[in-house]
Amino acid sequence: MLLELDHISKIYGSLHAVDDLSLTVPEGEWLAIVGSSGSGKTTLMNMIGCMDTPSKGSVSLEGRKLEDLNASQLADVRKNLIGLVFQKFYLVPHLTAVENVMVAQYYHSVVNEKQAMEALDKVGLAERAHHLPGQLSGGEQQRVCIARALINCPKLILADEPTGNLDEKNEKIVLDLFRDLHKQGTTIIVVTHDALVASCAEREIMLNHGVLVGEKWNDEEARAAYEAAGGKPASTGSKAEGAQSGDTPVGFADPTKAAKTGAEPLSE
Amino acid sequence: MVGKSKVSKGVTRKTSSRPMTNRRMFATMIFGAVFRRRSRAVMAVVSSLVGAATLFCLAAVCLVVPQQMNDEMRAYGANLIVTPSESGASKGGMSADVIRQATSLVTARGSAKSATYRYETVRINSAPYVLGGINASEVRNLNQHWVVDGAWPSAGKVLIGRDVADAMGLQIGSTMTIAYRASDNAGSSSGSASGSSGSVSGSSSSTDGSADNSQSADATQNQVQSQSNSQQTRDGRVSSDIMEGGGTEFEVAGIVDTGGSEDEIVYADESDVAKLAGQRGADVVEYSSSADANGLGSIVKAINADASLGVKAQQVTKITSSNTRIITMLQTLFWLVSVVVLVLTLVGVSTTMASIVSQRRNEIGLRKALGASSASVGTEFYVESAFYGLIGGVLGTAVGYAFARILCQTVFDRGLAFNWLLGIGSVVLSILIAVLASVIPVRRASRIDPAIVLREE
Repeated sequence: MLLELDHISKIYGSLHAVDDLSLTVPEGEWLAIVGSSGSGKTTLMNMIGCMDTPSKGSVSLEGRKLEDLNASQLADVRKNLIGLVFQKFYLVPHLTAVENVMVAQYYHSVVNEKQAMEALDKVGLAERAHHLPGQLSGGEQQRVCIARALINCPKLILADEPTGNLDEKNEKIVLDLFRDLHKQGTTIIVVTHDALVASCAEREIMLNHGVLVGEKWNDEEARAAYEAAGGKPASTGSKAEGAQSGDTPVGFADPTKAAKTGAEPLSE
Repeated sequence: MVGKSKVSKGVTRKTSSRPMTNRRMFATMIFGAVFRRRSRAVMAVVSSLVGAATLFCLAAVCLVVPQQMNDEMRAYGANLIVTPSESGASKGGMSADVIRQATSLVTARGSAKSATYRYETVRINSAPYVLGGINASEVRNLNQHWVVDGAWPSAGKVLIGRDVADAMGLQIGSTMTIAYRASDNAGSSSGSASGSSGSVSGSSSSTDGSADNSQSADATQNQVQSQSNSQQTRDGRVSSDIMEGGGTEFEVAGIVDTGGSEDEIVYADESDVAKLAGQRGADVVEYSSSADANGLGSIVKAINADASLGVKAQQVTKITSSNTRIITMLQTLFWLVSVVVLVLTLVGVSTTMASIVSQRRNEIGLRKALGASSASVGTEFYVESAFYGLIGGVLGTAVGYAFARILCQTVFDRGLAFNWLLGIGSVVLSILIAVLASVIPVRRASRIDPAIVLREE
């Protein structure tokens, strides 16, 4: 397994942002973490992305326990294994698109402008490579972010609400990019509250106030492969109401999906 | 896809002509931060500019003021006097040769101005007065503090002390008769006639011959009433005593007021005194040397050690020590102000840097999320700060120099050469201050968890 979460919790005082979650993600899987605002999705993503440490439990990436690593080793894991895509893009405002992509190369290993341009070409932005972020639209900025996340060929792409600030056209472009990445075997974890985005993933887990409340597979083949490889459903030790604590996944109907589609289930 | 391949070609061309290395990427990031965020950069540059300008200006003035003070103080007269030693063959005063040698000893330690004085006792309305023979331009140059009402002495015209003028009720333009009696000068007349050495004696006798003619010419020019009388007086003076009523008439060209002993002296041009009392050397040479107290001490030693000169040097300590004390006080004051300005600059620059860094907290968080270590983030910011310090320092030094120059021109009425050492020091200091000022905010910012920064906004 690429990623293993073993009974992790993140506790702020009396608030359990993430409550006793266990989850395994094999290499090449496309997982969506869904839930409403404040459900602990971003906290979970930060813990997976080595930007935050759990209060309890342990996170393993490629079999390495993150709690055993110091700050610089965590930074190494972050730059070598993970590509980050944020909702608010977070581009360096005074660097051009291609320079923003090269920043990731710079901290990773060696800057290579040709590769950076190819990455921008891949997201359809080669012509805008020498524009500053302020001169790019939201969708273009997000595509620069994705190019930046891809540039070091990470095993895991962590995307926090990647389409949250985008219109439908750009949302489609971004999701198509994810599909391509998925086909190439990159593991993708997308945090979203948007059911349409989530439904593109092979597997979805749902959080509510930090507690795992459901899991469902959109791709049965992937599920069979996962289970054949010894993968277990996500689980929680939380005693909260509706928690998925057993070995059996609890299905869920996505509320945003229902709201968007007028309660009609939307098929792929 | 056609467009895509076109772009790729363009990219390849660009890449091959200018290969991007990590070092160049670093430079690009610094360049971007400085030149694409101009308003912020200007803020940082201006704060170090103000500091550098103030410091450079203060330091430049600090270095110039003692020099200026020294010059000003030296305008208050001599700081070294040379007189014939008692043992020396000095009855005829110091010969031109001796004075030249003494002067060369003085100027060996720094530039110096000098003036010679020859004193004779004369009778004016039967009362004895001291007549000083001077070279007006030398004395004027040396004693810039002398307040002279009217003109300095010239041929046939004298400059009288305030006390002399008051005692005799003389005004500018008045005439007075000065008589010389050899007996008043304790046998110096024979000395003056023979001179201190053979050569001087020879030359003085020949000048004597021509002096008669010039004396007549001067007398006419000065409208002396009786030429024959003048001639008689002269003959009487040279040969033997003369009774009251004789003498040479002089016009009062000016009145000098120094508040010192000069107020009791009548100053005449040295050639007039020579005509009146015969040729001989100076009694006193005054020097205003640019050497400091130690330098003056060693000059005094050097002159006194040379017995062949037959002269004695003395330091005029009053002016030298008060001069030094005032300069030290001023310098201390200036350096204190400089330290205060330095601290204020540090506070100003660090506040600016802190605000710049805090505006870029997200960027720092992002860089860390992309795998940057705290050290590499720190390096980027320090280099950027150093860059602001460099630009601010160079501009500030230029502005500071302009201010210092204007200041020196208006206050001291003198130019100011650019001090390269000070200029480089000021730029280096600006860089150091800018880097130092950003240490705390950058350290604070680079310690932040990237998750916390990225979650904000």
